[in-house]
Amino acid sequence: MMRALAIGGFLAALALFAVMEWLARREGSRIPTLGDLCAYVMRYEVGPVPVGRIGLFGFWWWLGWHFLAR
Amino acid sequence: MEQPNELTVEAPRAWDRPTVSIPVLACLSLVGGRFASFSTEANLYILGTGGLLIWLGLSNRVPRRPAPTRLGSGTVWWSLPIVVFGIFEGVTFVVAAGDDFPTFSRLADPLLEDHLLRSVAWFAWLAAFWELVRR
Repeated sequence: MMRALAIGGFLAALALFAVMEWLARREGSRIPTLGDLCAYVMRYEVGPVPVGRIGLFGFWWWLGWHFLAR
Repeated sequence: MEQPNELTVEAPRAWDRPTVSIPVLACLSLVGGRFASFSTEANLYILGTGGLLIWLGLSNRVPRRPAPTRLGSGTVWWSLPIVVFGIFEGVTFVVAAGDDFPTFSRLADPLLEDHLLRSVAWFAWLAAFWELVRR
């Protein structure tokens, strides 16, 4: 029962990501696409250091390492 | 006749075209899919591919698409899937009930033992990383 709840919850979250991306890609949508959201975050800099870019690259690399190497 | 600079468009480099980048990423994914979890090869391979992409992304060697200067008012809606995922990941992690109430990675592990699915996961990870580098 609890296992089904966890699977259902994660599937719902993934489905919500897909629905949000679909809504964002509609003509005239005020919701940005996930790519635009990431690009906006990556613009963040502290002085000459691209903190947003380093942070997002680091997070994505860690995610790959966690699932594909650990 | 010479064209004014503002009217010229830089042609995409050969390796920046999908006809080149997709087969390259697919080959890298097939190799990555052969390495089992916790192996030295898998760790070295993800360090190498990820390190290369981070280096490309932080240098100015890859042309980037212009980033939006402002986001629409609907940005807050993205918090919905993030919060739902975060709640389930957080609760399953804290409860630590193993397979009875598994975390997302515990659910994914048996799927990723299959070489084909592992290669598909590698391709998704590399393709998304490549998109981030070009942003």
